[in-house]
Amino acid sequence: MKRILLLLTVLLFASVDAGAVGGGVVIDGSTTVGPIAKSFAAYFKNRYGVGVTVSESGSGNGVKSLINGTCDIAAMSRAMKSREISAAATKGVNPIAHTIALDGIAIVVHPSNPVASLTRAQIAAIYEGRITSWAGVGGPNVRIVLVQRESNSGTQGSFGELVMGKGVRITRSAETHASNGAVKNRVSSTPGAIGFLGLGFVDGSVKVLAVNGVRPSLPAIRNGSYPVSRPLYMYTNGQPAGLVKQFIDFAGTAEGMRIVGELGFIAQ
Amino acid sequence: MTEEVKSDGKRSNAFVVSPQKRKMQKLAKNAGEALLLGIASFVAIIVLFIFYFVAVDAIPYFQLRGFTEFFTSTGWYPAGEPGEFGALAIIYGSAMVTLGSALLAVPMGIAAAVCLSDILPFSVRQYAKPVIEMLAAIPSVAFGFFALVILAPLLQSNGGPLLMWTWWVLAAPFLLLAVIVAADLLSARFAQEENRKKMALLLQSLFGILAVLVLYVVGTKLNAIEIITGTNALNVSIILSFMALPTIVSVAEDALQSVGRELREGSYALGATRAETLLKTVLPAASSGILAAVILGIMRALGETMVVWMASGNSSHIPDPWFNYLEAVRTLTATIAGDMGEADQVTGSARYHVLFAMGLLLLVISFFSNLVSERIVVRQRKILSGQ
Amino acid sequence: MNLGTRKILDNSFTAVGMGSIVVMALALLAVLTPIVYNGVGAVFFTGTIEHRTILYKEYGRGDAKTIETQTATAERYRGEAYRMLSDFEAEMEGMPFEASSRYRSQYAQVRAAMSSLLGPLPGDPTPMLTRFQYGQTRWEKAEEKLHEILYEKKWDYSDPTVMAKAFYVPRAEAFAGTMLAPLFGYLDRHLADMMQPEFTVYWGFFTDRSLDAHIFGGIWPEIQGTFFLAIGAMLFAFPLGVIAAVYFTEYAKEGFFTSILRSANSTLAGVPSIVFGLFGLAFFINTMKVSESKSVLAGSLTLAIMILPTIIRAAEEAILSVPKTYKEASLGLGSTKWNTIATVILPAALPGIITGGIISLGRAAGETAPIIFTAAVSVGSAIGIADVFSSPTPALSWNIYNLASEHEMACEIRHVQYGMVLSLVSIVLLLNLSAILLRAKISQKLKG
Repeated sequence: MKRILLLLTVLLFASVDAGAVGGGVVIDGSTTVGPIAKSFAAYFKNRYGVGVTVSESGSGNGVKSLINGTCDIAAMSRAMKSREISAAATKGVNPIAHTIALDGIAIVVHPSNPVASLTRAQIAAIYEGRITSWAGVGGPNVRIVLVQRESNSGTQGSFGELVMGKGVRITRSAETHASNGAVKNRVSSTPGAIGFLGLGFVDGSVKVLAVNGVRPSLPAIRNGSYPVSRPLYMYTNGQPAGLVKQFIDFAGTAEGMRIVGELGFIAQ
Repeated sequence: MTEEVKSDGKRSNAFVVSPQKRKMQKLAKNAGEALLLGIASFVAIIVLFIFYFVAVDAIPYFQLRGFTEFFTSTGWYPAGEPGEFGALAIIYGSAMVTLGSALLAVPMGIAAAVCLSDILPFSVRQYAKPVIEMLAAIPSVAFGFFALVILAPLLQSNGGPLLMWTWWVLAAPFLLLAVIVAADLLSARFAQEENRKKMALLLQSLFGILAVLVLYVVGTKLNAIEIITGTNALNVSIILSFMALPTIVSVAEDALQSVGRELREGSYALGATRAETLLKTVLPAASSGILAAVILGIMRALGETMVVWMASGNSSHIPDPWFNYLEAVRTLTATIAGDMGEADQVTGSARYHVLFAMGLLLLVISFFSNLVSERIVVRQRKILSGQ
Repeated sequence: MNLGTRKILDNSFTAVGMGSIVVMALALLAVLTPIVYNGVGAVFFTGTIEHRTILYKEYGRGDAKTIETQTATAERYRGEAYRMLSDFEAEMEGMPFEASSRYRSQYAQVRAAMSSLLGPLPGDPTPMLTRFQYGQTRWEKAEEKLHEILYEKKWDYSDPTVMAKAFYVPRAEAFAGTMLAPLFGYLDRHLADMMQPEFTVYWGFFTDRSLDAHIFGGIWPEIQGTFFLAIGAMLFAFPLGVIAAVYFTEYAKEGFFTSILRSANSTLAGVPSIVFGLFGLAFFINTMKVSESKSVLAGSLTLAIMILPTIIRAAEEAILSVPKTYKEASLGLGSTKWNTIATVILPAALPGIITGGIISLGRAAGETAPIIFTAAVSVGSAIGIADVFSSPTPALSWNIYNLASEHEMACEIRHVQYGMVLSLVSIVLLLNLSAILLRAKISQKLKG
């Protein structure tokens, strides 16, 4: 008995030694921006010894944390809604957007799927549930498995806006996943699946479709010919200062841009 | 001698207390008991607080949107402009996986409880108990991980054959038994004494062929099934049944043990076999306690979050057809866990409060189930002990 | 029904019961086996020179001399491969544009796979992200990467009405006749020379911080967070639970009020864990404001009310199992009731109470749902003990979920996930096992 207690005490105190900086910059928000935030965090930790805490709880949660004053930076994969901005104003918070990267939303399918390109209308029809078999878009007669994101996701919001259009809803039978990574895993393991995810998450395990004949690529997103792209933001309360400013500004430095590029996003 | 006197003196000191001191002692005792009572009522206060704080955040939803949509619509578009908050499909999903896990866990749990209380010798029971305790102790997220990383891909790649083998293993012995019993009963009823054996043999082979046919046809049907998504209601039901089993077994075993030896011995004395004794005498006597076990086990499955969040596929629709366990579903708990990310806590919209409404629904269900199971257990105890 | 049939029925009834127990044991085995097998792989594996280099550079561990010589050997073999790459690049320069563009995209794939196998190639700028700064640290992953270099995975899209089948084409064929052709055979032959695989025991997995979102390194912050949360919950729940149990067993008079309190206890035990999370968010954080947002404190408090009923029940049982004679003897000697409880009953019941406590500790360590909204973050450094009042923490249970279903490279870091699951399961099961053993000891003692 005593030995167990002793062990627990030792563990408790051992952990005191290991304690590092818990403060520093606090970031909350989008899972899409997560990899950028986490990599910046790792860089700051290495370079300046500053602890940066990153929570990936969805863009909506990021706004909430910013308004409640519980994070310094809200990472968002969509712009703040007017309702959110007015809510912030009533709490005396003045959110300011900083664009840190551009991101294309890639429409992905299982690599075994012979379909290579879809129009935006076709994608909308698939997600609306009007086309339920790949045969409907010139592919094999295989049931389409729809994969979407959780409702708090900025990617989900952007997809709805850019592809589905106003008032058109994704069918209820679509599976919901918590993150870009989960969507990728799901699509890469299911032959009939279709999903959408941030371009930075795409790898060889899924097949990227061209939309309206344009494949998502760096130049195509920059010049806007790829129709499904959006900026990624970090929001701060008022003009940032000190460490937070340093962190935001880092996205514009050569090193920051290289990290963004290595992660598969498009630096500004 | 002197020592005795000394200690004597001390003792008398301890007993002779001035009235003032006694008053103080009494006061201290009362204060102490009040403090104890306060701490003991802490649990009750927490329960009230849980109801209050969940309800306070849930009521605004019903004020904003009323009751009809939540309970009757299947349109779940919380992020839409305007949002839709029909939770029917989600409630249905919760019910579906709970029912699925109960179908698997209840017969198995009761059988295991009977086995533990009446069949296994003590030495074996000692080893079986820790197995159940360990199954109960494994964290839900570990089960969820197993469901997502191992079971889901397995179902997706080999679902059909897997279903077929399970069918063979489970159904073959039962069908065999059914054939023997049916042949026996029918021949006893319709054949004369001297022909019975022949008749039974004939019926056995007839039913046997029929059974093999059923086994084979259903088996091939199952084998041909292609499971499109491994994260589905079936997967979750299987895992949830693992999690509900320990609760069912331990509560049901208590109920079985509280049925006295007299009942069993009486039945044996009348020439019943062990199975007959258990099925016809002990189980009915313990039925209310077993019902309590089933309720508690079901609650465990209904309230589970991580497994369903990770492995149910989270699509908020009523499967087509409605009993299709091979489709993805979404449950109340997973919706609360997954949707909490949205901001509207600040703007106070229905989006945030609807999740609390779901929490309240779960809370109310669990409250009443507990109440019922508790009443059942108390009543049974009274009946068995006092008569 | 004849006797034979009844006997068969009786036996099959026994078989069903035994079968159910066997199924439960098999279920336990089926869940635990892959977790243990793969989880052990997080600590014991065949590590490459890249693993040792990371340990040396990032954590300051390992023998500099050995690493240096091994790196030198590895570099010698790698140099040959790099030379082939640069030779081929020069050859491509000299080709007419049409000919070289035939190779270009294939070659880019080879280069990418090579740098993922060996780390950044010479001439490439040092990547900013740690995950790109090193090659493969595990031998089995290195072999996978080698396969990726040697063979191109292709899909046969010729018939658009059927799902395509994958097939592998040796890349050596595509580069036949060029200076790159010998590279593939060379890599195949000398993979071990380039990666220097060695059987590795990486205890640091439990004590190191993680690097680059768990792609390298260990899980110490999560383990520590789990301990903070669980022990914090015990600090609140244990004293309260024991005192409440004393009240129920020694003071409470059977009546309406007591039965309400008991009902409350079982109600609390039946509340779904996610509802505790909602309550923790609404009460501790939004109303009481014990911390500004998620914190270890808020999480511990939430877990504490979750495990309270278990502790109360266990303590009640332990107190009730203390023989009445103890109490009577003490009271008979003139001791007060309170004194009897403190000096006779509680010490005698202590082992039982602690058994309940240990089981609850395991439950608190393993729960996820209550801490989602109150304490858990996906990535963060280990926090100091002074930060528990204000900082959230990573925790094993939450990070298992996070890494398995939210991480961008969830499929590549399965070994870390398994390692985490194994750690959590072992913590919980060891706690339970010690409780079981303790209980066995007590019951032996009580038997005499």
